[in-house]
Amino acid sequence: MVYERFQKKLNEVMEIPPQTVGPFTPYYKMLTKRLKIMPIPILIVVSVICICFLFLIFGSGITFITSMLQRGF
Amino acid sequence: MIDHILIGMYAFTHSCIGIIVKPYETYRRILKDGTLYELFPIGILLSLYFATNALVKAPAFRPFVLTRHFMKTSIAVVVTACFASFVLWTIGKAFGGKGEYKRFLLAWAYTLIPTLCWFLFASLLYICIPPPRTTLPSGIALSIVFLTVSSVLFFWKIILSYLALRFGMKLDLMRIFGILVVSLPILGIYSLGMYRLGIFRVPFL
Repeated sequence: MVYERFQKKLNEVMEIPPQTVGPFTPYYKMLTKRLKIMPIPILIVVSVICICFLFLIFGSGITFITSMLQRGF
Repeated sequence: MIDHILIGMYAFTHSCIGIIVKPYETYRRILKDGTLYELFPIGILLSLYFATNALVKAPAFRPFVLTRHFMKTSIAVVVTACFASFVLWTIGKAFGGKGEYKRFLLAWAYTLIPTLCWFLFASLLYICIPPPRTTLPSGIALSIVFLTVSSVLFFWKIILSYLALRFGMKLDLMRIFGILVVSLPILGIYSLGMYRLGIFRVPFL
């Protein structure tokens, strides 16, 4: 039973070669490890940082971007 | 037939939870065991959204105007989804990708969930707090919340699109970047065409 599950998992993993990005591979693995299970909390943190950065650049001009996007649906 | 649709609906619900909780594992499962019947509930959800959209955006509350708006946006989204997936699949093939188009289409269809969430969110906010936003603190605070939610959904969309290309066409990161570089201008021109036709301001990709 355990062997069969292991075999199935191994086949799944070996179907596509593991991703490598040269010297950045450990960082890539670290990032994707966090994104593989429940990525939303990390995405919220990243988004808040991005939007705060955007606010620092554009100031109250972000209200224009919001108004434009709100009419965009 | 009905059995297949019901199984497809169950699989869709399971996959919808999965793409939030475990996107990698879920995408592997979608591409391995998924069926085209799972497109049926996605179609229902999209239709529900377009009905809401017609009510919010149609210039007059008349059956003919609402039906025309509904049909126009529905056809446009089906055409856009097929076009975008076909462009990515064709370019992916040129980059050495493997796999069937129908499998990739199914994987791509799941990437419409974050898009649908954003459009629904923007529609509801349009009804509750219509634009324009002011530069008062309350307007800025709402803008920050709106943009944060939008970017979370956008990043989620990027992850799902990456997984669709990675598992659907068995490609590596560099090739996926290559596909994006080639396909973005094509999809950009297409989106501009949609904008000029007055169908979508933000492309429903």
